[in-house]
Amino acid sequence: MKILVCLKQVPHKDARLEASGGWIDEGGIKFEINQYDTYALEEALRIKDAGEAEVVVATIGPDRTSQALRTALGMGADRAIQIWDDSLSGADSLTIAKLLAAAAKDESFDLVLMGLMSDDANNSLTGPMLAELLGLPHTTGAMKIELSDGKAQVERELEGGSLQVVDLPLPCLITVQTGLNEVRYASLKGIMQAKKKPLDKKGISDLGLDAAAVASKVTVDKLYVPTKGEGAEILEGSAGEVAQQLVGKIKELGLL
Amino acid sequence: MELELTDEQQQVVASVRRFVREEIAPLEADLDPDASELAPEDHERLVGMARSMGLYGLDIPEEFGGPGVDLVTRTLISIEMAQHRAGLYAPCYGVFGGAGLAQLYEANEDQKERYLYPMLRGEKRGCFALTEPSGGSDPARAIRTTAVKDGDGWVLNGEKTFISGADRADFAITFARTDPEKGRNGITCFIVDTDMPGFRVRRIVHTLRSSHYATELEFDGLRIPSANVLGEVNRGFAIANDRLSRNRIPYAAGCIGVAIRAQEMAIEYVKHRETFGDVLATRQAIQWMIVDNEIDIRTSRWLTLDAAARAERGESFRTEAAMAKLVASEAGGRVVDRVMQIHGGYGMTKDLPLERWFREMRIRRVGEGPSEVQRLIMARDLIGGSFH
Ligand SMILES: Cc1cc2nc3c(=O)[nH]c(=O)nc-3n(C[C@H](O)[C@H](O)[C@H](O)COP(=O)(O)OP(=O)(O)OC[C@H]3O[C@@H](n4cnc5c(N)ncnc54)[C@H](O)[C@@H]3O)c2cc1C
Repeated sequence: MKILVCLKQVPHKDARLEASGGWIDEGGIKFEINQYDTYALEEALRIKDAGEAEVVVATIGPDRTSQALRTALGMGADRAIQIWDDSLSGADSLTIAKLLAAAAKDESFDLVLMGLMSDDANNSLTGPMLAELLGLPHTTGAMKIELSDGKAQVERELEGGSLQVVDLPLPCLITVQTGLNEVRYASLKGIMQAKKKPLDKKGISDLGLDAAAVASKVTVDKLYVPTKGEGAEILEGSAGEVAQQLVGKIKELGLL
Repeated sequence: MELELTDEQQQVVASVRRFVREEIAPLEADLDPDASELAPEDHERLVGMARSMGLYGLDIPEEFGGPGVDLVTRTLISIEMAQHRAGLYAPCYGVFGGAGLAQLYEANEDQKERYLYPMLRGEKRGCFALTEPSGGSDPARAIRTTAVKDGDGWVLNGEKTFISGADRADFAITFARTDPEKGRNGITCFIVDTDMPGFRVRRIVHTLRSSHYATELEFDGLRIPSANVLGEVNRGFAIANDRLSRNRIPYAAGCIGVAIRAQEMAIEYVKHRETFGDVLATRQAIQWMIVDNEIDIRTSRWLTLDAAARAERGESFRTEAAMAKLVASEAGGRVVDRVMQIHGGYGMTKDLPLERWFREMRIRRVGEGPSEVQRLIMARDLIGGSFH
């Protein structure tokens, strides 16, 4: 069994963010592995613990992201692939998916796992795009994954709390929800061994790709925090008065 | 000078940090505000996790089966382990293994079999009995407890005070005067079993710390075999001294951990608490408290990591350890005090860990050698000579 886990390094949840043009100012902030992806990694490691599997982790990102890969190796992944080129800064989901597909195509993975979305960009696009590029069946937002006889049975959470069960033949790609499992703590031994595990750094051309062919099509115009209070009307008075006014407003605007 | 943590150190720190935030701190919501122990089932479960993290028995040297963490990493871990309510005196409630009484590593093989290994396995508890009513700052002069040779053994008479945890200990590393003429070269270290006739815990001494009590001890004609002498006769003080110096580093680290957590609480609070129409974060008086906290934390941290790095390299670190202990305990007190002030009335309540830290942090300026004694140690090293 060979499993690929795609992970992204995102700003630490406690980091103080400042918008800078189309993205945040990355200077001086801490990063961590995207939370959704840690569950994907844990799921892969559990499959490895239960039987035999090689777990490969891959990320697209600058130097700092090797820390995320080392963390994954420390937790038990076997090897890592880091892809970067300065032209990739601000890359859109399709570009990311194309690069991951190029890295994965000759490896014949039985299973590709990744987070449902990233905590920073919230797109939920990379997984399905990567599956399409690799020609793999896929499903998203897994709450439970069971593998048997060359297929994966996946429980997915739908709106309103209902669950859907889907079967996919292997190889396939699954994106996972948080809470799918309990993410382990890296062991000291694992952390010490991580340095000795292979971490391959690749550029665009190492993947047999042409920079123009993978260039992003989406550009972000602006990233900003909306100013508080604009467009809002603050109702004042006692709870009863405020409720009265609110009902009036709702009627007035024809919202009911 | 290398100020960056290695990749491995960063990962270990991140892992312990997550453990403290996700496994330890949430349990405290259901514990007594002064508790120093977890419910047995929680304790066992978390020990299991600590074992699978490979971090159980952190203070056990590698040759005795410990994880073999270098001193700088160990210090970084200590800083993390203290970041919860009981963190100062019960870091992570001991789920990473009991802190071994370091003196026991100087013991002979027979004593290690009887005391050290059972202690490392969590089967025996020890306490450290140095301070006497006659004084703790200068034990070499103050020790009045005597041990007189009698046949194949010794007879102990005297008293000790402020001995932490003696009421629950199986043995006490005890210092007694064996040659009244020789000052610091007339003190011997004994391993006293607390069930030996003549050993008595006279009373509990209530202090600012409401759990893990200090006690008063009495030795009344206690007969102890020579096999229980730790190290050489009349050389006991060297054992006390060397280990006291080493202990100052984790002691400082605990103070730093608490200060870091308190500072995080403050930064969080000032962003939300409004007075006079705006959040506290906008007030310069408050901003300066936050800045002063940070200066206190960083100064303590670098001094302590520097002491640890020197000790790890095998260089002399007595001055550095004394400086780290002094600065971290005093700075820790200032930080907790400021953060209480920032929290106003809530800072005084037992709903927050601050008041416990405040009480316990105060002890840190006296325990393990008071600030004045740390200065005295540094002055001796800096000026030289044998004035004291
Ligand atoms: C909660 C708690 C737990 C403790 N646990 C233990 C334990 O487990 N085992 C143990 O052996 N001890 C323990 N101690 C004792 C502690 O180590 C001593 O209290 C400490 O060493 C100081 O000794 P002392 O109280 O006798 O003060 P003293 O030695 O009488 O000193 C009094 C004051 O004078 C200052 N001073 C002393 N000499 C000088 C000088 N030359 N110049 C200027 N100032 C000076 C001191 O700094 C101190 O402020 C504990 C204490 C407390 C409070």
